[in-house]
Amino acid sequence: MRRTLTVALSGNPNAGKTTIFNAITGARQHVGNWPGVTVEKKEGTTTYNGQKIHVVDLPGTYSLTAYSLEEIIARKFIVESPPDVVIDVVDASNLERNLYLAVQLLEMGAKVVIALNMIDVAQGRGIKIDVPKLSELLGVPVVSTNGKKGIGLDELLQTAIAASDAPQDDYRKRSFIRYGAEVEEELEIIEGSLAASSVNLDGLSSRWVALKLVEGDTEITERLSAKGGLDGLFKQAEASRAHLTDIFEDTPEIILTDARYGFISGAMKRSVHLEATDRVHLSQTIDTVLTNRLLGPVILLSVLYLVYMFTFQGSEPLVKLFEAGFKSLGNLVENALPEGLFRSLLVSGVIHGVGGVLGFTPLIAFMFLAIAILEDTGYMARIAFMLDRVLRGFGLHGASMLALMVSGGLAGGCAVPGIMATRTMKEPKERLVTILVAPLMNCGAKLPVYALLIGAFFPDKKAQIMFLLTFVSWGMALLAAKVIRATVLSGPSAPFVLELPPYRVPTAKGLLIHTWERTWMYIKKAGTVILAVSIVLWAMMTFPSLSPEAAKPFDEKVATLTADFLKDPAVRQVLPSEEALGEFERFRERLTRGTEPEFGANSPLFGELALVVDSQSAGLSPESTGKKPRPEIVQAAEAYQAFRTAKSTVESEKQMAHLRNTIGGRIGIWLERVTGPLGFDWRTNVALVGGFVAKEVVVATLGTAYSLGEVDTHQSEGLSERLRHEPGWTPLLAFTLIMFVMLYNPCFTTLVVIRRESGKWRWTVFAMVYTTVFAYLVALLVHTVGSILRIGVA
Amino acid sequence: MPLPHTEKCANCPALDDENCLANQGVKLSSYRPGQKGTIFQICGDPDFRRRMMEMGFVRGTEVMVVKYAPLSDPIEFIVKGYHLTLRRDQASDILMSEPGQAA
Repeated sequence: MRRTLTVALSGNPNAGKTTIFNAITGARQHVGNWPGVTVEKKEGTTTYNGQKIHVVDLPGTYSLTAYSLEEIIARKFIVESPPDVVIDVVDASNLERNLYLAVQLLEMGAKVVIALNMIDVAQGRGIKIDVPKLSELLGVPVVSTNGKKGIGLDELLQTAIAASDAPQDDYRKRSFIRYGAEVEEELEIIEGSLAASSVNLDGLSSRWVALKLVEGDTEITERLSAKGGLDGLFKQAEASRAHLTDIFEDTPEIILTDARYGFISGAMKRSVHLEATDRVHLSQTIDTVLTNRLLGPVILLSVLYLVYMFTFQGSEPLVKLFEAGFKSLGNLVENALPEGLFRSLLVSGVIHGVGGVLGFTPLIAFMFLAIAILEDTGYMARIAFMLDRVLRGFGLHGASMLALMVSGGLAGGCAVPGIMATRTMKEPKERLVTILVAPLMNCGAKLPVYALLIGAFFPDKKAQIMFLLTFVSWGMALLAAKVIRATVLSGPSAPFVLELPPYRVPTAKGLLIHTWERTWMYIKKAGTVILAVSIVLWAMMTFPSLSPEAAKPFDEKVATLTADFLKDPAVRQVLPSEEALGEFERFRERLTRGTEPEFGANSPLFGELALVVDSQSAGLSPESTGKKPRPEIVQAAEAYQAFRTAKSTVESEKQMAHLRNTIGGRIGIWLERVTGPLGFDWRTNVALVGGFVAKEVVVATLGTAYSLGEVDTHQSEGLSERLRHEPGWTPLLAFTLIMFVMLYNPCFTTLVVIRRESGKWRWTVFAMVYTTVFAYLVALLVHTVGSILRIGVA
Repeated sequence: MPLPHTEKCANCPALDDENCLANQGVKLSSYRPGQKGTIFQICGDPDFRRRMMEMGFVRGTEVMVVKYAPLSDPIEFIVKGYHLTLRRDQASDILMSEPGQAA
């Protein structure tokens, strides 16, 4: 049994690297983070001919010059934990630029196997590649692949395994690029100086180190200077750089880049044949419409609107199914367990809390699927292209577009990966401002809150309101960006270099993997952080319980009501005692739950009474059941209805008194001083405090708060139904709350990421304070203007 | 037509104003959609120059302007067979050997 081989996949963005990775590893993938940084690290395993292979997907890069964080990560991996083989995925239809990275990998001395991907696209464009010739010129194996159709993958793995057996020096000796006499001379001197210093290069090729020193690469310089005692070497490198700059009238790194492209175009001339085609690429034809000056923006808006329709309408049946599922689970637990704290914890804390969040999983999954489609087709880049001019006006950047999109520019993202996406941005000010405003976007965690409130108060305008919220959130983020860029972070803007990849039909597998990974992140969050928070919040809203003295007036009231009810002559004929009343209540309860009630001799009588009670509460006449009930039963039923209503009112009052008395209630009440002008009551305040941890918790907490305050548990209606009927809740209040939730304090996880990405607590605190103040001001404005104009107050 | 150049760029390899390369080339940003030409020199700060070269904007390479974004900025180009977008002010740092010619 041979040891497991490590194969790194490298390649340009859009070269089809992910498709090949998915095709090779299938479902055997693991997503994590690169050590110390927040860039996604994908790993997977596969077995070929009994050889186990560990595949590491390096971030997609154009080069390895340490220009962006992705490049630093990719380079660090190859330098510090050299893989056995590097498979460089090269887009055959865009060979020249793709080979630049390949050449850099070769210069590093890595054992490279080139996967010549998308050769079918190249052929379609009249590009004919002589594969054996290309392989000969580059001095490395080249395998034609089609990741989408899975063609050439066996050969690719086979070649990689064979390459791993080849001696490293074989690869090192093929130093393909000769940079001309002047450069080679300086390289030789530096290599000599390296050898003389007998410094340990940790297995790096000395030619590569010399090249990096000539290029003035900071990474390598720092690495070497950490070893100490190399002043002579650095002096020599500086002298060489100065000498070359003098000769070529340009910096060495520019000269070397030029030379690499010279080498590539030489290799291209000898191995690639371009057939003259008049045909304009299909992508360009599509773009004459999609990025058209007039049609483009219209289509862009339509696409965004379609994404909403798809997300909300498309997921609706599944969301309903999930909600029903959690409801029946709650009922099941409720029936199975005796009343008490434990049942309350399970039902009100865990099931209502977590279920409220998990119920939205289908919606989140649909949204992620839509985003994956936009990304994988290549339309996302067009969005950035069309909107860059707008964003720049607000002190942002084209790359901010991607970060804001991922954060929830299309409602349903997450600020955590969004903030991580800013790592591609080099300009610190624009990056920082993007990080700071990213949490204002409509992330997936805010969606449940919106969905709940929109469902309750704007049921006929769901998609329209969501659409509006997208614009509002963009507007708020841009406004905040503009203000921050004009005050705390002023300065000029950075370059914008964005590739518009050809349009592609995404693969089902790629879309599903993408959607699943992100959805799973959401579920995991629900299962861990939110579970814990739900339990804590449940405890906050349960303890301390009402003292016996405080509970006494309510209990006495109930006792009086019961006694009065039983005194009614009509009632006495049917329910002669308090025991009989209790029995009847249990009978009805079992009837509503669909279990066959068995109450011996009393059953027929109870059945008759229950039937009349139910038809009365349904607003039907007792005769509608087909039988004509006895008048005393009708009378008793009427008295029973009146009694139930009165009792519920008292019990609700008691529950409210209890809730107000709990820790959570007290915090919420205290906060009413602040949130009063916004119209938020203490229960909403408790929910908003919970939202500091994660925004989904707002829904969960509202669920807990209102389910605790509920009396008739077996007649529970959905939370949105309950809010609609709750006094004080108006469409205006709902909208005010939506605005507040959209803008206030980033969730706990986001704050952690802001701290890590900005590197400063200062910015983390700034993000907390400015968002919450901003949210308060906007909500205050909405509520005040709405109240004055009397919009949505009825 | 070479455009007159007034500001001195600190990063340009030319040592003085008189030899400033910007005076010898045509700004890529002056090309209209459908026009093409070859690269003469890239100006701007070293990081930008290098990135542009790594993306294939090397001397002698043919660049064609495909279109301007709806708000006239950024600009879409074809270089070495792929599509890239740059903002107008970056495109003005890319000097071409000749005025734009119809493709």
